[in-house]
Amino acid sequence: MATELALPAGSGTATKTKLAIIMFSGTADKFLALGVLSQAAAALGTEVDLFVSGFALLGFTKEHHDLPFAIEFAGMARAMAQGLETSRVGPWDTMVRQAKELGAKVHACSMMSGVMGLALGDFNDLIDDIVGAASFIQMAEGGQTLFI
Amino acid sequence: MTDAAVVTKVDSRGTACPGPITDLAMAYRRSKVGDTIEIWATDPGFKPDVQAWAAKTGNPIISLEEGPEKITAVIRVVRR
Repeated sequence: MATELALPAGSGTATKTKLAIIMFSGTADKFLALGVLSQAAAALGTEVDLFVSGFALLGFTKEHHDLPFAIEFAGMARAMAQGLETSRVGPWDTMVRQAKELGAKVHACSMMSGVMGLALGDFNDLIDDIVGAASFIQMAEGGQTLFI
Repeated sequence: MTDAAVVTKVDSRGTACPGPITDLAMAYRRSKVGDTIEIWATDPGFKPDVQAWAAKTGNPIISLEEGPEKITAVIRVVRR
């Protein structure tokens, strides 16, 4: 079925919008949501800022940490992994990398980095910088904010 | 315009959301005003997603067809 869309050339709003995501959870299932949403938003031309805090910081360290699955769905982890492979859904960090290629920025929370003994050099190249909460709130101003 | 308009074909069949829309965004980044991008996808969310992308970026969809094997969208690049 062909759809002719009544959108004349140049009539789009082409609005510059912002999405800020606070990534707090450190479980594998939620990292997938982070990857999908940040990649999709960046592909749409939305300005994307991720603020990584809490246990989620462990997903961004040079040292590898196995990310646990949310305990209430742990029994489904294997089936989910198979489903993701069948549907050819890439790993979450590849999605975040793709989002960064499209302009997304990733910031580590200074307070939780300190609590966990992590300096900038301990993070992998996905992390752009370490900022405080106030900086992030200012980045997020005027846009949408999601807490994962 | 110094360069002739080009038609870029992007095959995103088999990739899941947000793969097709990302492939489109990457092709868009390499395009210039006047170009046309034709993209093939099989992800069931692609049809509404490409319309959202077009509305958001302000580039019109010339045609959008859902066939038995794939969704085909043709986009004209009118702004960068």
